[in-house]
Amino acid sequence: MRQLMKYVQVLIALVMIVSIARTVNAQDGTTGAITDDMVNAIAAKLYCPVCENITLDTCGTAACADWRYEIRLQLEQGMTEEQIVEDFVHRFGDRVVGTPLDPALRALSLVTPWIIIAGVLVTVAYIITRRNANAPALVQPSNDETTGNRYQDMFEQDISGS
Amino acid sequence: MLAEIGLISTLFAFIAALYAIVASVYGERFAHSRALVTSGRNAVYLNFVLMTVSVISLQIALMTQQYQISYVWSVSSPSMPDFFRFTALWGSQAGSILFWSFLMSAFTAGATFLNWKSQRRLMPYAIAYMMAVVAFFVGVTLFIENPFDRWWILPTGDVVASAFIPVGAVAPSAAQLAETANGLNPLLRHFGMAIHPPMLYLGFVGFVIPFAFAMAALASGDLSTNWIKVSRRWALVAWVFLSLGLILGGRWAYDVLGWGGYWGWDPVENAAFLPWLIGTAYLHSVMIQEKRGMLKTWNMFLVIGTFSAVIFATFATRSGLVDSVHSFARSEIGFPMFAFWFLLTIVSVWLILWRSSRGELKDDHQLKSLFSREALFVLNNFVFIALFVAIFWGSFGAPIISELFMNTNITLGADYFLQVTPPLFILLFILMGVAPVSAWGAASLARMGRAMLIPLALAAASVGLFVVGGVTEIGALFGYGIVLLAGWVAIVETVRGILARQRVHQENLLTSLLALITRNPRRYGGYLIHLGITVIGLGVIGSTLFQQETQQTLAVGETLNIGIYELRYDGFLANQIAEDGRVMDIAELTLFRDGVEVAHLRPRRDFFPEATDMNSMTIAGAHSTVENDFYVILVNWEQISASSATFKVYINPLINLIWWGGLILIVGTMLAGYPRETMPIRVREKLRAVPQGA
Repeated sequence: MRQLMKYVQVLIALVMIVSIARTVNAQDGTTGAITDDMVNAIAAKLYCPVCENITLDTCGTAACADWRYEIRLQLEQGMTEEQIVEDFVHRFGDRVVGTPLDPALRALSLVTPWIIIAGVLVTVAYIITRRNANAPALVQPSNDETTGNRYQDMFEQDISGS
Repeated sequence: MLAEIGLISTLFAFIAALYAIVASVYGERFAHSRALVTSGRNAVYLNFVLMTVSVISLQIALMTQQYQISYVWSVSSPSMPDFFRFTALWGSQAGSILFWSFLMSAFTAGATFLNWKSQRRLMPYAIAYMMAVVAFFVGVTLFIENPFDRWWILPTGDVVASAFIPVGAVAPSAAQLAETANGLNPLLRHFGMAIHPPMLYLGFVGFVIPFAFAMAALASGDLSTNWIKVSRRWALVAWVFLSLGLILGGRWAYDVLGWGGYWGWDPVENAAFLPWLIGTAYLHSVMIQEKRGMLKTWNMFLVIGTFSAVIFATFATRSGLVDSVHSFARSEIGFPMFAFWFLLTIVSVWLILWRSSRGELKDDHQLKSLFSREALFVLNNFVFIALFVAIFWGSFGAPIISELFMNTNITLGADYFLQVTPPLFILLFILMGVAPVSAWGAASLARMGRAMLIPLALAAASVGLFVVGGVTEIGALFGYGIVLLAGWVAIVETVRGILARQRVHQENLLTSLLALITRNPRRYGGYLIHLGITVIGLGVIGSTLFQQETQQTLAVGETLNIGIYELRYDGFLANQIAEDGRVMDIAELTLFRDGVEVAHLRPRRDFFPEATDMNSMTIAGAHSTVENDFYVILVNWEQISASSATFKVYINPLINLIWWGGLILIVGTMLAGYPRETMPIRVREKLRAVPQGA
């Protein structure tokens, strides 16, 4: 039932867009209590379903202007930011958000790079440990000022002109 | 005539490249003939001359409006000014690949000329690898994306583009072609486009030299430090161009794309950033091999990985892969580019593993301390690779895998990148602060801690100034502190050197500074690069965390307020025709700061009647100060009277630090790459005159 209501709301919104958008000259002008900033705050979280990698708040196409107007109408109807974003994802898929809402896709997106990075880290650590194990005895950090401080030697070499 | 000259010279350039490969390898490996190898070298020079002829032919065709050449027709028009005719050379795929091939040919000829005598053993193989890459791109130009194709009308009435005259075809009339010419993509009609693509291409193609020398070392078995000496300097050259290309790209996006930002985490931007990350890791780790004879295998992987990333970035952005994995398959250059990238990477990795398995890439030393400089550089390399993985995954990995295996399209945007990359960037800045004060070989935490005391105190004091200035967000202050620590370490280390030198030689500050830099340009150039990155970091934090924006519709005479600024809408100039034919709609605004008038701004919307695809462009109005940019975009206006208009306004704090940091980075890189052996005689004599051991 809730789903059905959502469809009805969307249908009403679309009908209103077609009729109202034609008569509005300044398409991003304010309507009622909803400001452009409120619309853009949500539009900035949605990607244009048509253009690649452009958020709705910055996209200059007529289609995006219509979608921004749709967000305005949804706000006027009392929909929350979360509901509006969910509605766009429901209609256009997870490509309209910067990080997918679908739990499986979200996990795939956010967790995978860390798994790969951890894998790289473990591999590097393993290689270094193995090489060190095969090498002669480990030299401990030395506090001996005469032999240990290569940094100072290097620095003095720089300033001495030698 | 120009089309024929261009086509023939490109064809012979292709043949010369193939000959150079065969003569170099056969002459060195099988015939042991120096004469044959030398003829291979001469073919490299011939290739460069022929590619120069080819590029000049297309450039002349663009400047003289030879619209029968389909490329000229597609990227220029009679109303375009000469400046944009010139930049139209790289305004579309075919021309840009020709230009790319020419630059690569120039790099190859330069590297061959400069290293022929000093690297006799490596040169035949290096020539073969460099020319193999050149041959591939020239081949793409010749057989797939030919910029010298001409328009022909077939007897059936169809119009086709072809390099050769089809049977019975006639050329369209010049007047008809001029009338229908497309003109350059409006987004490319910007001064930044004259510099940004060539810089990026130079950065990309420049990495062919370190790659070729690494491969030459692997193929020839000369795995001494010879290839490192050559490749490091060429890698620096490529790196500085790539850095410049990325920064200019950001500036172009900021000026032209009209969204108030400079980096959108777009796959095309990210694709160019990926080789930069691995290249930067290489420039750090190569020092370990030079100083300690370590990470030999790793360096091979990095230098080859950098070039592989260059080819992948080229493939991804030119094949349509960025839009969809399916459009890549439809693209004509998609499969050849993919096959080339795959082959190049597989052969390179196989060669590394082969040499490594024979024990020829064994390190001279092992890591001895977790706080030694080499250990910190390894960690630095790991962070760069982690950033590469995260950005690659977000730009290409996740979208491709979800489309191929989950039957859904996803786009990972700024949301993803701003969740995953900040911890890695923080770690990178911490390492930038710590590594310069660590020592090669064995080192202790206590010694490093002592060296860090002053920079830490200065960073804390600087953060205190931000607090006094009104910044209270803990995250921002932490970010500023980490970034500033890296910068202060660079400054303190340099000042420490100057003061010590002053004490010893009784010189003035400037003389000490110059002497210090000329004695070790690599180290102090490196510090300057770190300082540049610090300045960029401050700009990124400021403009990301403290950006303010509002969008409002104003009637003439009305004002809007944002922060300390007030903006008044004064009027509108509609349908202004520019010299290049664009139609401009300009809003006139006055900006006040604390009630005082500070600037007149003219944001505008440009419309290009002749353009077929994207035909409008938003040009922001901006008022720049050290503190921030006031940036305003004309969103819309009342069409008939323009009595009201909608503006989107941003205040971008510290954003100009990004461009200035970029300049510092460039100067630092030039310094770091400055060859000591070519120092002016006067400087060398002065250095020699300094008493030894003084």
